[in-house]
Amino acid sequence: MSFFGFDASLPGSNPKKQNGNKDDNGKTLDFEETYKGLGDYAVEEYDYLNDETFGGPAELGTDFDFGHGSAAALNKKTEVEAPSTYTMPSRSYVAAASSGADPVTRTSLDDTQDLKPMESLWTNQPRVSTQQPQGHYQTQGQVLSMEDLERQQRQRQMAASQQGFMGMAGPGYGMPPPHPQGFMQHQFPNQYPSSFSPQGMQNIPPFQQMQPVIMNQGNQATMYQPPLNNPTDKQQEQGNVSGTQPMEFPPGTQLGRSPQMQPVQPSPKPTNPGSPMIATSTMTPPPQEVHNHQQNKQTFVETMTQQQHQHFLHPQQLVSPPQTPRENFRYNRGQGRREPLTAEEQKRLQIRQAKVEKILKHSGLMTPRDKDFITRYQLSQIVTDDPYNEDFYFQVYKIIQSGGIVGEANKDLIARAYLEHSGHRLGGRYKRADVALQRMQSQVEKAVTVAKERPQKSKDHIDAAREGVLGKISSAMNSKAPRRQLQIPLQRLADESAIADDSSTAKLSRGSTPALEAVTETLGNVEIDQKSKARRRSSYAFTSVDQSSVLSRSGGRKFVLSLIETVYEEVLELEAQLRSGNPVDSAALWEALHIGDESYEVCPFISMLSFDKGVKIMPRIFNFLDNSQKLKLLQTFFGELSHLNIIIISSYKTNASPSENQLKQIELFQAVFLKIIVSFLSNSANFIEIMGLLLYLIRNNNVSFISTSKIGLNLITVLISRAALIRQDINRSNVLSSPEISAWNEVYDKLFTSLETRLSLVFPPKEYTDKTVSINSRPSASSGSAIATPTMPTISTSSQYYDQAYIWQFLASLALSGKLNHQRIIIDEIRDEIFGTITAAEELGKNQQDQTASLYKREKLYQDLNLFLNVMGLVARDGEITELK
Amino acid sequence: MSLDTPLDLLKLNLDEKVYVKLRGARELIGTLQAFDSHCNIVLSDAVETIYELTDGDLKSTERSSEMIFVRGDSVTLITSPGDDE
Repeated sequence: MSFFGFDASLPGSNPKKQNGNKDDNGKTLDFEETYKGLGDYAVEEYDYLNDETFGGPAELGTDFDFGHGSAAALNKKTEVEAPSTYTMPSRSYVAAASSGADPVTRTSLDDTQDLKPMESLWTNQPRVSTQQPQGHYQTQGQVLSMEDLERQQRQRQMAASQQGFMGMAGPGYGMPPPHPQGFMQHQFPNQYPSSFSPQGMQNIPPFQQMQPVIMNQGNQATMYQPPLNNPTDKQQEQGNVSGTQPMEFPPGTQLGRSPQMQPVQPSPKPTNPGSPMIATSTMTPPPQEVHNHQQNKQTFVETMTQQQHQHFLHPQQLVSPPQTPRENFRYNRGQGRREPLTAEEQKRLQIRQAKVEKILKHSGLMTPRDKDFITRYQLSQIVTDDPYNEDFYFQVYKIIQSGGIVGEANKDLIARAYLEHSGHRLGGRYKRADVALQRMQSQVEKAVTVAKERPQKSKDHIDAAREGVLGKISSAMNSKAPRRQLQIPLQRLADESAIADDSSTAKLSRGSTPALEAVTETLGNVEIDQKSKARRRSSYAFTSVDQSSVLSRSGGRKFVLSLIETVYEEVLELEAQLRSGNPVDSAALWEALHIGDESYEVCPFISMLSFDKGVKIMPRIFNFLDNSQKLKLLQTFFGELSHLNIIIISSYKTNASPSENQLKQIELFQAVFLKIIVSFLSNSANFIEIMGLLLYLIRNNNVSFISTSKIGLNLITVLISRAALIRQDINRSNVLSSPEISAWNEVYDKLFTSLETRLSLVFPPKEYTDKTVSINSRPSASSGSAIATPTMPTISTSSQYYDQAYIWQFLASLALSGKLNHQRIIIDEIRDEIFGTITAAEELGKNQQDQTASLYKREKLYQDLNLFLNVMGLVARDGEITELK
Repeated sequence: MSLDTPLDLLKLNLDEKVYVKLRGARELIGTLQAFDSHCNIVLSDAVETIYELTDGDLKSTERSSEMIFVRGDSVTLITSPGDDE
């Protein structure tokens, strides 16, 4: 309902205003100035007038119809019947008036649009009339008498309106210009008996005659115009008026529309009686103008419809329709006939108009862009990744529908659906709680890692700078672990020369081990033992590979050893209590393990595992730990895997020629600690925990380095194969939630990314395997025969060979968890190794000597290889790879 | 665990390789299994080296034993093995 009056008098389309200008111009230029820019002063205290400004008080829930048709129809109704609100008719007048606007007046009106708000209006300071923009009005004397003005205006109006009239102005309202005076004079005193002087009114009649709207406007114009001719006085007075009387207009109305609105605001009361009069003026012209009356009657229907067209449309639309030839024709026809239309004709016309009306009702409300936007928006609502989720309201609606009106039960259903849908603390449909928890955990983890690494880096830097001057500075300097010792750097040089970066180290250790030996030789005067040889390390752990450095960073060798002793004592104590049936409290033991102790760069627990006795005690420790403690312990373990001595020892990169002792250590570790881990993973760890452990491993370590060590590879294998097993188990019973699956995929992707392009490095170089083999074979075979020939390493030692089963196991489990493209990448990268193994196996078959042994070895090689190939549905047999049947 | 007496330090090396110097130009390298306040010690996987000086020539003989008990009064020195092992 509202807003229309608003739109209809958009700037530029409203000649009335201009007319008003003309009207006032002689004496009151202020009309424009008074109300222009008032909207800028957004004072909202007078909201109670909004109803009148925007239209009748709209009930809550009113269906606002922006189509011009319905509003117009309504207007029509209100006009035909007695209009109850003043604004209704005024709107229609505006529209009608706009139809009569001729281009000239419109442009001149446009000129006036850009006026600045008049400051003087608010300050009550007199304003000079030269500021008025209407140049052509300025020529007029400012002190014309009322009569003069009247005359002038009338003349002007007549000229203009005649033009508009001829040019198909609002034909229905067409009243011959010459006659208005009496009529207007007749009416106005009644309309505004108290507040307005007749002289003021007299300015207006011409407009009204021409176009009822103008009458309306004229009223407004005159309302504020005191009889005085002096513009400044007038302005002042208007300022006063504005001070006492609410002048606020909604921003949109301040331009061309404001004059139209004004009558409502300053004196709502007097205007009300006026409105019916105006209505009647259009409907039933006064007797003086008989022929006009007739004409009016004749064209009433037309005018109504035209009005409908013209009303509340966009300015252009507002103006143009009546100017089309067709309209002209119709009008002329109506004029020509001069006789009332028959009822039928009228009806037909009405029907026709109704149809047109319907079509045009909402036309032009939206631009193509708007439509496009809405279409896209609507379409975007249809497309969704998660229909169930997106359809929340539908789901609830469905429940309500299907459940009927069963009250309580129904409510229950809805509540459940809601919970299931939206996720809650216990996990909703998608166990979102888990995801959230995981996310939080990983964030905390990340934060901790960052915090940990930062000081470490800087410390390393400082160490490097000071070293040589002060000796090696123990980097574990804080309140809990004060500096304990100065370490004289013995093998630093060897370390640094040997370790450039990962790839170069790989090359070095693979291709140029002799060169490394040479480096070691040149440093011969420095004591380099097995341990220091083990310091030719990977880039990642080059501080960690130095076991004494690791020890010092976790509190020093003595500290770690004493910790081990403490742990032994605690374990013995606990075991004694267990034997005697007393309740056991493992708190002290847990304390002694220093799990999660942040005061050392390397967790002391990791260093404990550097000692055989530390490894050996682990199963007994595990007896007294609960599940969460075990998990925490393993998290620490996997998180700091790179610092683990055993990894460094077992990696061919950092320890190219392991000693017999180290091999024994590796074996011990496998036998003791791996066993614990495997049993923990298979008995008490759930999927998420395993995933978490793997994540710890990936996050905090150089996976590709760890994968070069046998122990590291074993550990990774254990984790991912266990996860794969659980996944298969769970697939059967359908327990694994989708976020778990997706989280696993993510973890796996991370793992795979860190291994990608370096997968072939899991295979130790021949030198390394040879060495290992030679050491292992020493007890059984004579050491002389153990020296491998480079070309056929596996054959050279008849009974001993490097067991690569653990590598194939790793690859198999990696491929098992991966998707097809992962498998493809794996095969791509280790193609050489696959065919190398097949070739070696085949050559074993050809080897005549020691038939049984080589046959056995051949079988073994194929077995291991097939372990991996079977995962992908392949099998290697007799030198060929075929599909697994 | 307290580290008050010298033998407490020895305790740290339990199950670790130790180098033991004995009277009579002998030395032992082995894994420390046990000790007492008299410095009686038990080593496992021990290698004993006996040095003999005959006619100005230093001659050494080695003997290894899986487990060996050393009476404390012959022990002159216990340390962790040197880097040359």
